[in-house]
This record gives sequence, C-alpha cells and structure tokens, in this order.
Amino acid sequence: MTLLHTEGLSVRFRLRDAVVQAVTDLHLRVRAGELLAVVGESGCGKSVLAHALLGLLPANAEVSGHATVDGTDLLHSGEKVLARQIRGRKIGLIPQSPATALTAVRTGRTLLAETLRAHDRDPKTADRVAADAGFDPADLDRYPFQLSGGMAQRLVTALALATDPPLLIADEPTTGLDRPLVDHTLDLLRRRCDNGGAVLLITHDLAAAERVADTVAVMYASRIVEHRPATGVFTEPAHPYTAALLKALPDREFRPIPGHPPMLTALPPGCAFAPRCPRADTTCATPPTGPVACHHPLHTEVAV
Amino acid sequence: MADRTLLRAAQLTLVAALGATLLVPVIWPLDQSAVDLAHVGLSPSPGHPGGTDDLGRDVLHRSIYGLRVSVLVGIVAALAASLLGGIVGGLAGLLGGWTDRVLMRLIDTLAALPHLLLGIFIVAMLRPSLGAVILSIGLTHWLSTARIVRSELLSLRTRPFIDAAIAGGASRRRVLTRHLLPHVLPKIALATTLMIPHAVWHETSLSFLGLGLPPHLASLGNMINDGQRSLLTGSWWASIVPGLLIIVVTLAIAALATRWRDRLDPRARAELDL
Repeated sequence: MTLLHTEGLSVRFRLRDAVVQAVTDLHLRVRAGELLAVVGESGCGKSVLAHALLGLLPANAEVSGHATVDGTDLLHSGEKVLARQIRGRKIGLIPQSPATALTAVRTGRTLLAETLRAHDRDPKTADRVAADAGFDPADLDRYPFQLSGGMAQRLVTALALATDPPLLIADEPTTGLDRPLVDHTLDLLRRRCDNGGAVLLITHDLAAAERVADTVAVMYASRIVEHRPATGVFTEPAHPYTAALLKALPDREFRPIPGHPPMLTALPPGCAFAPRCPRADTTCATPPTGPVACHHPLHTEVAV
Repeated sequence: MADRTLLRAAQLTLVAALGATLLVPVIWPLDQSAVDLAHVGLSPSPGHPGGTDDLGRDVLHRSIYGLRVSVLVGIVAALAASLLGGIVGGLAGLLGGWTDRVLMRLIDTLAALPHLLLGIFIVAMLRPSLGAVILSIGLTHWLSTARIVRSELLSLRTRPFIDAAIAGGASRRRVLTRHLLPHVLPKIALATTLMIPHAVWHETSLSFLGLGLPPHLASLGNMINDGQRSLLTGSWWASIVPGLLIIVVTLAIAALATRWRDRLDPRARAELDL
C-alpha cells in the first residue's frame, strides 16, 4: 500500500532578486513497511522536502506538483485539515536539532500530554509513550535545558511517535549523537517499518542510510538523481554522483568530490552534476530523466 | 553582603508599609479628614510622629492613607498598561506586516511626546477621579511593554520549536497559548512590577499638579502639594513626611523587582534603571 506519493513536487523560494530552486520535480513513493532514505549533501533540498510535506514552508515558498499521504492531498488542504488530520496524525516529524525543537519553558510531561490530548488520546499514557521511545519516564518532569542531547533526541522521538502516525519523517535524526544513540535511533526507525509503518529518513549520513534503508533516493541540487533499492545503490551505484559520494566516505576511498555543488539560485538547464562529473560530455547539457538521472550511468541495467 | 542587607531592608520596608496601609483603620482608628483647629501645625512629637498640618490633621496618619491610594493606583494602572501593551505588542508581533508597521509607528510617535504632558491631557479631558488617573497612567505607560512583547514574539516565532509544535498538529491557538505565551508572560509580569513604582510617581506628580485625585482624598501627591503652604510657616514636615514615604516605598519595590529580573535573567545584571 502506498502511503506517501509525490508527483512532480517542486518548491521554489522567491527572494527579492533571485529564485531559489530548492526541490525540483520530485517523484517519490513510500509504501507501508518501507524505509526510504533521502541522502545528499547539506543544502541539496532534503529538509525543504520534509517541510513541504508538512506544510511548514515560509510564506515566500511556491509549491507545485502533487503530494498525498494515505490518499489525502498535502499541498492543497487548508491549514485546518493539515492541523487536524495530517500533522501528528498521518505524518509524525522527528525534527532536526532536538534541543531547539522543544519549548524551553515546558516540561517533557506537559509537552507529551498536550500532544496526546490534542489527538484525543489519554494523556496519562505519557509514561508508556516515553518509555517506548527509550526516554526514562522519571525524567519527564525535567525542562528541556536539563536534558542531555541524547535525552532530548528521545523526547522529540516520543513526541513524534505519541500518536502512532503511519508515516514518520526523521530529519537528520542522527546528527550530533554518539554511536550507541545512533544505533538506538536507527533500530527504532527500522522496528517501525518492520511493524508496518513507513519512514522517510532524511540524512547526509550514508552509513546510517546503508544500515537501515530499504530504498534510497540520492538528492543533488534539488533533484533526485538516483532512486533505487538500497542494496543496489550501495554496491553498484549507477549515477556518477552517487559513486563519488560513496568514494568520499572515510571507510571507502576518502576522496572528496572535486568542485562545489551549484547555487540553488542558478541551476543549469541540463545535469547539475556535469561540471564535477568525469563522464560528462555535450549531451549532459540536456536534462536527464529516469530513476537514474544520468546520460552516462555507470551501470545500465539496474534494478528499480 | 551589603547587597543582601539592602534587599532585606527593602523587603521589611515593603512589608511594613503595605501592612500599615492595610491595617491602619484597625490599629490607628482616626478620622483622616477630621479638622482639629486646636492642634494646627504641630511639629513631630510622640503624640504626632509626623506632626500635624495646617488643619490639625495628623500628617503620618494621612500619609499612610495617601500611600494606600497611591499604591492601589500604581498597581491597577501598571496592570492596565501591561494589558494594553501586551495586546498591542502581541498583535504587532504575531500578525507582522502592515499591522506591525502601523502599530510600531504609533508607538514611536507616542514615545516622542513627553508622557507626563500626555497624561495631563488625558486627565484634563475627564472629571478628576481615581478612574481618570488610572486611565491616564495606563494609556501613557504601555509603550515599553508593547515593544518588549513584540520583539520577544518576533524572535520566538522563527524558532524551531514552533515549527516542531505545528508539525505535531498544534493549532494556531495552541501554539500561541502553550508555546508562545509561557515565554512572554514572565517578561510581562516583570515589566509590570518594574512599572508599579513609576506609576506611583506618576500619580503623585499628577496630584501634586492638582490634576490628579480630588483634593479631599488623601493621596501623597495632594499632601505634598498642600504642604507647600505650610512650608512658608515653617512646618516642613507636612511635605517631607509624605515625600519620604513615597521615595522609600517606591525604591523598595524597584529594588525587589530588579532583583527578581536579575534572577530570571542573569545576563541582565543591571543597576536600578527606571
């Protein structure tokens, strides 16, 4: 069953003297039980995607295309429908940088009880919900500034899971965590999928994606350049950018990609990776399409 | 520490002064407006610790009644100003855009005028009464609170926890009441407390100018004004006693409020700025 479906999803920000193309023509499909990892460098548009799906973009954003979750339109539903039926109910968000995502003047218990009550659930179950996310219920009466980074991470996870949403979006959930906490967080995401939930994992941590993802979408300069089952992506990357990204990993070749990603205000009409790509030629001036958006893929017969 | 002794003194002063204003009808039952022409202009003595005025009324006794009125006016006016400031600042900070621009220019304009003059203008349009004085102070003292609330909201609005709350399904109203207000309310409470002494002074000034409370009400400003006449006959105490009382009590409130602010925000270690 398809939970999340986007077609031609694009997001642009209109600035005074420029247009930022943050997300371009995104086709995504996440089924129940699937963990899709969207990977890419910082500034490629990953987080904007998460915010677009939740209707959290600032006023100067222009969104086009289609996006549905569980059959409900995400882009054309009013603020009321989003607040009452989508956010927290159908899509849960584990936000980036948990310490700043918690209201500083409220205790974990009041935050959790508020979320539960808002979704017609028993606020007394706060202890159990916290424990399920690995947060010690004894710490629920602490304020956010009294929590360590790991505890804050577990608390925002508890808040996102409190209402048991079918789709969970985790925005860089492993950033700044030590190894055991990364493992804990990834295990939790994996377990949700194994129990029939769907997870959209947004990360620049390729190792994390490799460990838990079913499918991987590699994002570069606002576009998805490779969207395939995880095993294929990590063993036989087809897009030169994916290959270069993997070679840059410390436990592989540790060789950085030459050059810099293009500015999102001035994207080329053709392949955005061409200026940094060893395989590029004149055909790359036209936009490539398909699950591997490349005119000269490293592998032509790829499982999609 | 000297700091601590001062604070303790401020606390005791405040408790004694407020206790006296509340209990004076019980512990010192004396008709505050009864004229006693047999004891006019007596200097301070054990029987009349503050002396008597040119109508034979006990100055200390009347000063306590005056303080009662002044503190009441100060508190109610400060609350009114904070309410108004909170609403205007809230609208500007939450709605932004043109609402914000228009309201902020209005505040700049009002701030450019001397607020005592503005206050006089307001009482002059109304019949002299407690309500008129409170209105006059309330309408001229909300500007700083509005600015505080607005800037606080502007910075809070873009913080990640607001997006996180919305992502969790919080409605606009819930974001406002559960995530924004708890941040802003302590600041408003603090601004209100710091404003009380200011409002008391303002009331005193208005009454001193003869524009505040009606003359038969014993307010500190009225008494200082009345005392001017006695000054010519050498009865300095008729003005000095209520004057000292107002200085001591407002300083005590200000000292405690400042201390409270420092506790809430250790970065704002400031001296008494009022």
